[in-house]
Amino acid sequence: MSFNYGQGYPRGGHPQQGNPYGGGQGAYGAYPSAPPGGGAGSSGGPYGAYGAPGYGGQYGHGPGGAPGGYGGNPYGGQPYGQPNRYNAPAGNIPPGVNPEAYQWFHSVDADRSGFINSKELKQALVNSNWSNFNDETCLMMINMFDKTRSGRVDLFGFSALWEYMQQWRAMFQQHDRDRSGSISGTELHQALTQMGYKLSPQFSEMLVQRFSGRGGSHGIQLDHFIQACTQLQSMTQVFRERDTGMTGNIRLSYEDFLTSAVTRLI
Amino acid sequence: MAYHSPYRTPPHINAPPDQSFLWNIFQRVDKDRSGVISDSELQQALSNGTWTPFNPVTVRSIISMFDRENKGGVNFNEFAGVWKYITDWQNIFRTYDRDNSGFIDRNELKQALTGFGYRLSDQFYSTLIEKFDRQRKGQVAFDDFIQCCIVLQRLTDVFRRYDTDQDGWIQVSYEQYLSMVFNVV
Repeated sequence: MSFNYGQGYPRGGHPQQGNPYGGGQGAYGAYPSAPPGGGAGSSGGPYGAYGAPGYGGQYGHGPGGAPGGYGGNPYGGQPYGQPNRYNAPAGNIPPGVNPEAYQWFHSVDADRSGFINSKELKQALVNSNWSNFNDETCLMMINMFDKTRSGRVDLFGFSALWEYMQQWRAMFQQHDRDRSGSISGTELHQALTQMGYKLSPQFSEMLVQRFSGRGGSHGIQLDHFIQACTQLQSMTQVFRERDTGMTGNIRLSYEDFLTSAVTRLI
Repeated sequence: MAYHSPYRTPPHINAPPDQSFLWNIFQRVDKDRSGVISDSELQQALSNGTWTPFNPVTVRSIISMFDRENKGGVNFNEFAGVWKYITDWQNIFRTYDRDNSGFIDRNELKQALTGFGYRLSDQFYSTLIEKFDRQRKGQVAFDDFIQCCIVLQRLTDVFRRYDTDQDGWIQVSYEQYLSMVFNVV
């Protein structure tokens, strides 16, 4: 609170809001906190950094309960439409694995390899307009929870990925105020503000433009929402690491700029 | 970025392919006969020479470069550009992939990018290999090489717009920085 973040990036330490850096100074390694104001009431949160080795927090999660009460929603609910079909014996669920994720895993693991790759994930996930999740978001999430860099996740990684996705889904639904199935620029701005980001409405409009996909529809679907928010968090971290004086401005060399962006690529 | 091919291609490769040749290919790639080649149609048609599926992110990058109406694919006219673009990259890649393995190593990547005019540190090349070596071989395949070059060029372009005095340094605010990176990734 003693730092001036007013220049346009999120203030740390809002007690009721959390902050987009994944828990202030404890960001590295601490399990990310829940989405601020998220309606899911679940623990764990979407703010894990991705792609950066050593951040760790997003993977080995604590005793987070499953976000409950998503049944019957229109947002990509396909995979858990028929959880009973797979009839997973409850006793076999390894500790720390979300039971719903457990059932889901076996339906998504089409080739029964014991792992889920980006392609299998893509086939299993749909947006509210019935489009499949885009490749980048699937790849991004696999990479986030793939500890071995093998391009796939096992049951434990998948469980964490699944919870991560559910939390964003809850966030998405909460901010899709007109229930259109997509998030508009205004809705995104409200969402980002609630997460603690201090960004202009124009910035949200830019993001929506950038991510609204083909046809120029005026909103972003869940997949791009997850992608945009995750990348935003990651880039904020990059900026913050360089903004040692907390002025809201940084000086960057060409190669440092390249490195900062390339290492955060999906 | 001053782009110049560091070698001379045989003239027949650079000559524009004739329309019927292209039309033939277009029809074979456009599996659903929609008149537009989608990401997945192009991905299936492309080979990176290593028996693995072509990088979907590269496919998206290339399509979006030529897809003028944001329709999620390319029509026949636009496909001519895609074809030339990929063939050009292929020719460049081949000159560095001397053993025809389908991969170029770190040194070859450095030679290629240096040839394009980039001056980058060894450490940065390690970062690039780390990031664009999707197959975890310590080398970069054709599709990932294209993606690497596209990303570098976009980042360089956006950096230049801010580096008005051309000294290799920029000062940016939080929101400016985010906008720069989001416009590329």
